[in-house]
Amino acid sequence: MIAVQDVHKWFGLLHVLKGIDLEIAQGEVLVLIGASGSGKSTLLRCINGLEKIQHGKIVVDEMDIHKSRTNLNKVRQEIGIVFQSFNLFPHMTVMKNITIGPTKVKRISPQESKEIAVQLLKRIGIPEKADFYPDQLSGGQQQRVAIARALAMKPKVMLFDEPTSALDPEMISEVLDLMRELASEKMTMVVVTHEMGFAREAANRIAFMADGQIAEIAPAEEFFKNPKDERTRRFIEKVLAV
Amino acid sequence: MAEMRVLGSSRLMKLALRALILVVLLALIIFGLYYLLSQSYPFRWNLAFNPKNLDAFNEGLLVTLQVSGLAMIGGALLGLLVALARLSPFAILRDMGMLYVQMLRNIPFLVFILFMYFGVSKVFSAGPTVPVPLLDIEIDSRIFWGVIALSLFEASFISEIFRAGIQAVHKTQIEAARSLGMSYVQSMQHVVLPQAFRMIIPPLTGELIALVKESALLMVISLEELTLTARQLVQQTPLNFEFYAILAAYYLAITLPLSFVSHLLERKLAIGKAR
Ligand SMILES: Nc1ncnc2c1ncn2[C@@H]1O[C@H](COP(=O)(O)OP(=O)(O)OP(=O)(O)O)[C@@H](O)[C@H]1O
Ligand SMILES: [Mg+2]
Repeated sequence: MIAVQDVHKWFGLLHVLKGIDLEIAQGEVLVLIGASGSGKSTLLRCINGLEKIQHGKIVVDEMDIHKSRTNLNKVRQEIGIVFQSFNLFPHMTVMKNITIGPTKVKRISPQESKEIAVQLLKRIGIPEKADFYPDQLSGGQQQRVAIARALAMKPKVMLFDEPTSALDPEMISEVLDLMRELASEKMTMVVVTHEMGFAREAANRIAFMADGQIAEIAPAEEFFKNPKDERTRRFIEKVLAV
Repeated sequence: MAEMRVLGSSRLMKLALRALILVVLLALIIFGLYYLLSQSYPFRWNLAFNPKNLDAFNEGLLVTLQVSGLAMIGGALLGLLVALARLSPFAILRDMGMLYVQMLRNIPFLVFILFMYFGVSKVFSAGPTVPVPLLDIEIDSRIFWGVIALSLFEASFISEIFRAGIQAVHKTQIEAARSLGMSYVQSMQHVVLPQAFRMIIPPLTGELIALVKESALLMVISLEELTLTARQLVQQTPLNFEFYAILAAYYLAITLPLSFVSHLLERKLAIGKAR
């Protein structure tokens, strides 16, 4: 579903991605971990074309993201992304946040979009908040709305960039539960997270990024049981210690 | 709850008291000055308020409103375009936008009107009216060029306000919109501009009020708006103080409601609040 081949990315002189190779199958959940600054967010942003790459190739659902002839607006409809800071549209109600994509981008009728949104709101457990504005919701609720906003486009792939890092501890599980549900429905997902519990349960494979490269990638169980890379081992010790 | 209401009413009392003091002070100053002046200057308000004079003022008001209203629309639209050009990914558009703003902002409006009306307009046509294509009407060329000059000039200021507003909308908002598959234009239309607009209401109204005030300078092209009307009345009957006081009151009658509406809009559109 997603193929990343020898991708290099520079910010000016800063070499941020140094030859990334990744294959993610349909329905697979890949959890991406790694130290701060190792390039996890940048990799996600390259996958949906928010950042340009200088070398290599990224193919999502048979569409070459960084080819100049590719219609990025079209590709992005298939790739949902959820940000650490939610990035909901503050001037729109929850309902409007969810329906704006389907109505304006996919040109689905307002009634049909509304039905999709009502279903999604039920699913994320806050049907009563449809007419609220984002700043009237808790962080956990806002992030679930952000997920619903992405899902309303019926994407084939979902990218998550530390979706729970900005949340109060007691709200983390409501978001992770929703993501687990998505995983069990065979949504193809790439998740950057520090939630090792989630990684252990929901991930098919875990990739460890260090210094712009993928230092190690392995099925979840194996990854924790016997990490081969020295940096991975240290990282695991550190995160499991806390 | 009861406590809050008490608090609220005491605050209201304070506010009313402040307003009262202000009004009394103002009245004292005005009447004091007025008394002093009346020792040497014979006020003749009854002459000034002659219905004929008021009719003249009202006609001038109509012209001022027409010209300012049209220039507001023209200036805002052009200002938005210039702002978008200055923020566009294309260097040539950015440079052209910058050139436009720098040129227009740095010449006196008076000079710009003279240049447009006595210079540029003569290049196009010398007639007293300008035909408007499509609408099939002829416009007085002073009104036409007055509106054009005011729009072009104000667009340079308004564009800077729009630009600041657009830039104040967080970059992550555009990213979120583009990530949903919205085009650049769609993300501007649905996400950035609505948020920018809420922020720029106060400075934008300030600029629109400045526009109304600047329209007074259009008297130099013999456009019979409020100010020229007052001048002409003074030449007929030398009631200088009276006529110019009335003139000032007419401008206040346009500009004060504008700032009031802006204030209401600002509160009504406060981001993220249920209406
Ligand atoms: N727009 C940008 N311009 C310049 N440098 C950037 C930009 N975005 C990221 N970087 C740099 O690229 C490197 C990788 O950043 P990135 O955000 O991908 O790391 P990350 O693994 O997501 O880290 P974190 O865990 O802190 O989110 C960092 O050194 C960062 O400073
Ligand atoms: Mg990051």
